Amino acid sequence: MSEQNHEQPVEGKANASRRDFLKLAGALAGAAGVTQLAIGTINASASVESSGEEGTGPKWGMLIDINLCIGCQYCTFSCEAINNLADDMRYCVVTEETTQSGDKYFLSRPCMHCQEAPCVHVCPVGATYKRPDGIVAMNYDRCIGCRYCQVACPYDARVFNWKEPIALSPQSPAFGYQEIPNRPRGVVEKCHFCSHRIDAGLERGLIPGVDPQATPACVNACPTGARIFGDLTNSESPVSVALLEAKTTLRLREELSTEPHVYYIPPAQGAENRFQGS
Amino acid sequence: MENTIHYPKVRFGSKHVDIFPYWIALLVVGVLFGLVGVFMVLRDGLQVTGLSNKVPWGLWISIDLSSISLGGSAFVFGVIVYLLRLKRFEIIGKLAVLLGFLGYSTAGLVLLFDLGQPLRFWHPVVFWQVHSLLWEVTMCVVLYLTVLVAELLPIIVEHPFFEHHAWHEKYSIVKKTVVFAKSLSQWLHKFGPVLAIVGLTLSLLHQASLGATYSVLFGRGVWFNQSAPVQFVFSAMSGGTALLFFMGVIVFRVMRPGMVQDDVLYDVARIAGGITLLLTYLRLWDWAVTNYYSFDRNINLQTEALNAVAPYSLAFWLGQAILPAIAGSVLLSAKSIKNFRYLMAFSVIPIFAAILTRWNYNFAGLIATPTYDPYTPVIRISSYTPTWVEFAVASLVISYWLLMFSFAARFLPFQSKHSEH
Repeated sequence: MSEQNHEQPVEGKANASRRDFLKLAGALAGAAGVTQLAIGTINASASVESSGEEGTGPKWGMLIDINLCIGCQYCTFSCEAINNLADDMRYCVVTEETTQSGDKYFLSRPCMHCQEAPCVHVCPVGATYKRPDGIVAMNYDRCIGCRYCQVACPYDARVFNWKEPIALSPQSPAFGYQEIPNRPRGVVEKCHFCSHRIDAGLERGLIPGVDPQATPACVNACPTGARIFGDLTNSESPVSVALLEAKTTLRLREELSTEPHVYYIPPAQGAENRFQGS
Repeated sequence: MENTIHYPKVRFGSKHVDIFPYWIALLVVGVLFGLVGVFMVLRDGLQVTGLSNKVPWGLWISIDLSSISLGGSAFVFGVIVYLLRLKRFEIIGKLAVLLGFLGYSTAGLVLLFDLGQPLRFWHPVVFWQVHSLLWEVTMCVVLYLTVLVAELLPIIVEHPFFEHHAWHEKYSIVKKTVVFAKSLSQWLHKFGPVLAIVGLTLSLLHQASLGATYSVLFGRGVWFNQSAPVQFVFSAMSGGTALLFFMGVIVFRVMRPGMVQDDVLYDVARIAGGITLLLTYLRLWDWAVTNYYSFDRNINLQTEALNAVAPYSLAFWLGQAILPAIAGSVLLSAKSIKNFRYLMAFSVIPIFAAILTRWNYNFAGLIATPTYDPYTPVIRISSYTPTWVEFAVASLVISYWLLMFSFAARFLPFQSKHSEH
């Protein structure tokens, strides 16, 4: 619209306005250049500053292939056993959903470990925080139990510890034993990508996502290999390779710009599904 | 000037009975019932409530929001008395400070029980997370409660007890405390304007942030609303001032006739009415922006879902638009109506509307939430029914509010002997 206006009638005026336009355009281009430079500098300095916080180290992420998920809930059960959870405290849930064409599929949902995690932004005491490796973790000694994070989480990924911790999870010993300390009553809990395994594994020189001892329990427990874990910044990690091979991926509620670190391979339309039949 | 205080009496036949002791006894029963609930929740934790992971905030948070909003007159009249220096509002300003203190202390009390870890209530003061609205609200409320105590102390010290009492001579500790309280309140009184500015700043910050607490929750559709902070501020001013008028008529016109001019009370009603109309105007634009000029699928579906389970839209139009518009107009023309009964009846509406707004906000986004599945997301309706423990604690804090107000209304002079300084 505005371009058409510039090329329209009255010769003398048109010249003047064209000249003005060029001047203005030049000035704008100059200003834009300066701004760009300034932004570049700011970004550079910001990335230097935040290097301590965010780090250049690994960023843990997960890929869940919906086509491989058979809804067995082994991920849920092993998570319950390792974290000593009751059945009503599940960090990871598997639900049956439908595509637009009405096909049924299983959606298994751990914490998304969002880059822009709403729960981290809203916590009034900094009890939930983002680790340099991208894991959204909890400081259970600091949490006051206000439950604002639960209200803020778009994925229902957080559970409040309404009751006293239980002695033994109903999924133990079938799916493993408790690996992390109990959390007190009255704090909000969440999936932590089995960070205790990752931290201990890295100390021993293991590779999370490759070596089972350093990999989240849900990934190990999956009988079909639907869950792939690893370092998103390392192009040779299993998760990066799988992401590269995947034709399409999606993340849940992407429109919210929470930038989850959990990716999904969507259910293939009409294609033969090895486990789900139709 | 000594004012005699007229206590409300009920006539039984030829007898006039002072109902005060019975009223207090009733409230004490409410407190005792509440203490049972407090015991239950402290012993067994929040599992005794009807809250769940789907609806983690409930009755208590709604009471908390409501009581903070109804304390809104304190900062409005702090500004009117200390900054605009309208001396005729000085006495009613004291009542506003009292209502503010009661609103905020009630909120603090109920929040304490709503925390999963009540003993960690002080954590936000020590562990700062400046990006969190709830942190900002907590800090503002803590600081503002301090300001309100500083403003309230000079009002309490006016009580005759601080002048003469047998205990002064009998117990030296009482005398020392009285002397300290009086000198402290004289010192604080000098800082009235400073306290008013600090109070105004803190109030605007946290009343707005309480709205923003909900409106930053972009995952929740109906809550993601840019005008919520402004609405919360104006609704606190409107509801708080309407409550001040209602209570002002009881405390001054009924119990202390002649202390406050009728015109001053009419002015309070007019302020309440004006703000209520302004708020209703803002709210209509807000409705138009979210529902008429733009279309958000989630908001639309959520409203539909809520309408299916409750008269949600009707409650909005009636409680937050039509009735406040009528009440605001009536209160604004208080000087031509000049009927305290009518005005009091209409002043209930902005109070009710302020509470309704908070309850609507708190429950709408919790009850109807969008699911996260990628292809066919729906609006999930969750249910929540408060348990008797929640009602018990509610009865505790409401009884506390009424008890403190009743004692203050009966015993505080509200006028210093040397009020001119």
